[in-house]
Amino acid sequence: MNYRTIIVDSNRRQSEALALALRNSKDFEVLSSYASPDSALGQSTVYNPNLFLVDADHPEFMEMIPAFVDLFPNAEVLAMTTLWNPDIAYEVQKTGAVGTILKTYRTEEIDGTIKLAKKRGKPDPARTICFFSPKGRAGRTTLAALLALNIVEKTQETVALIDADLQFGDLPIFFDIEPQHTIVDAVHDIKLLTPVTFFGYFHEIKKNLYILSSPDRPEYAELIDAETLIEIIRMAGHCFRYLLIDLPTGFNPISLAVSNFCETNFVVSMINTGMETEHMRRSLDMFRERSNAGKANYPIFTRVNPCTIEERFKLEMQIGYPLTDIFPNEYNLISMANSGRIMKDLPKDSTFMKKIDELSNKIISGEL
Amino acid sequence: MPEGRRSIIISIFSTSSGNGKTITAINLAASLANEGYAVCLVDLDLQFGDVTNYLKLEPIHTIIDAQLAMERGDEDYDVMDYLTEFSHTDENGKRTEFFVMARPPMIFDAYGIAVPVVERIINSLQWFNFVIVDLNAAFSALNLAVLDTSTIINYLGVVDFLPSVKNFKLGYDTLLRFEYEESKIRLVENRADSQKLINGHDVERLVGEKFFHRLPNDFKAVTKSIHDGMPLMFSSPDSALSKSFLDLAAEYTNKPKAEPAVVSQTKGFISKIWNKFFG
Repeated sequence: MNYRTIIVDSNRRQSEALALALRNSKDFEVLSSYASPDSALGQSTVYNPNLFLVDADHPEFMEMIPAFVDLFPNAEVLAMTTLWNPDIAYEVQKTGAVGTILKTYRTEEIDGTIKLAKKRGKPDPARTICFFSPKGRAGRTTLAALLALNIVEKTQETVALIDADLQFGDLPIFFDIEPQHTIVDAVHDIKLLTPVTFFGYFHEIKKNLYILSSPDRPEYAELIDAETLIEIIRMAGHCFRYLLIDLPTGFNPISLAVSNFCETNFVVSMINTGMETEHMRRSLDMFRERSNAGKANYPIFTRVNPCTIEERFKLEMQIGYPLTDIFPNEYNLISMANSGRIMKDLPKDSTFMKKIDELSNKIISGEL
Repeated sequence: MPEGRRSIIISIFSTSSGNGKTITAINLAASLANEGYAVCLVDLDLQFGDVTNYLKLEPIHTIIDAQLAMERGDEDYDVMDYLTEFSHTDENGKRTEFFVMARPPMIFDAYGIAVPVVERIINSLQWFNFVIVDLNAAFSALNLAVLDTSTIINYLGVVDFLPSVKNFKLGYDTLLRFEYEESKIRLVENRADSQKLINGHDVERLVGEKFFHRLPNDFKAVTKSIHDGMPLMFSSPDSALSKSFLDLAAEYTNKPKAEPAVVSQTKGFISKIWNKFFG
């Protein structure tokens, strides 16, 4: 790729250093540098550029980014900041610019950011979906994994599973993988990362499906605070279109912060001793009264037997909330998670998988 | 460290919920109480604990009230005021009773229970021979504080599902890394005889430690016990599981056992694949 580049930066020294670095790369051609966005917008047409590198540390430069996107539809616009700021990155993303990088003289990072943005597709903000359960063994991880697979298959969009069950995350075992990096590494490095460098911390499960793994020792969970985890999720939103986040069981700072941040919160419980309806009701009360500020939560019961509409009404009466769905027991899935075959031998015609299919349609359409 | 007090504190811990922690805690408490010991069962699964649900108790005061009283600095504070009694009288007129420190009714209150308060409560239960503590499945500051003070850690696992086996080993390795003495950690396999793909003996090889006790599976008896709101020894006295709980209790009282319950093992397949995950 030959980038015909225009630099828009108020700091002359920085802009010269960047131009020099770009000129040393065979992929970049520096057409001109401007110290003001106005001049750049007015004069750049004569160069027919296909890349603008715009200093986004200054609010007045930042404000002009949509104008670059509008006036130069054939060019990519890349914002540059000194520190990664998720709010600025989010604003940039909404303008249709290709992305945000740290002010850098590394041409690979510029090239990588453009390629990542192309892979990610439309610059719409990522969909954030998390899976909460009052107690473990609720089918939470199974649901997240199967929905992720289904969404990738249907949309061909990039999807990431983030294992935020920091002590006992099971996603790697479900997919039979041994990830090189975990969420702990990402948290450690977050201040130095941008989406393109962060992307490398994800493990590719199959085309367009990635996983950010939980740490391999429970005590490492201590290294991750809720605030940094949200930063991680926000940055992941610039790498992927869908983020499915598996939460730790019960209410704790991590599950509260993430469920509060995500637009879609599934609350999953497995019918076992019968006390689960009480746990579900109390969880939904907790969400309604103490967090999630007026957001809808989506309760789901698994292993409902018989999995009928009557049973569903009965459960709804018991919890006092409408249910999003009920799932039947599916023994085959257990043996699959046992042997890491979850991607290969899914019982496609089962009621369980049909319900996964319906649920993912609702997520994709934005109904949930 | 477990010094400076008489009570035996037995914590029931596991790394996955749905393993039978609460059932074990209740039945261990009932078995010990039935032997004549003074027993208190503390439900520290503060958000979603089921002790009072399974025993059909309706506590007037819970641990949150005890915390509030301590915070107020009530002069007449007595931990006994915050306990709820369970009692059962059999057909021969033999009465079995033990006390329960119930979890808060509201999750938000559960969220606000402080570790030092729990430590103080447990230390104040000196009057009891046995304090059984039902924990939740996580390495939290609260659980670690209780594990520190425990005489015995009953580490419970149902090893029928590969992620559970992974978490069972992970949890045990973590306990050892945290320098809990091996002699203090007692591995207890639950549903040891149920039809499953994973063999308990394979798990012992994997974990590097033998199971201290094996509890057989009796889903029907457990369901009946929850339905009746009674420990298994009263709701299903003839169940092998009820007897197995009596045996487990006997391990902690130095009393000779009756005949040992034999738990059969089904053949597993995990040995073939475990290297992949744990090798």
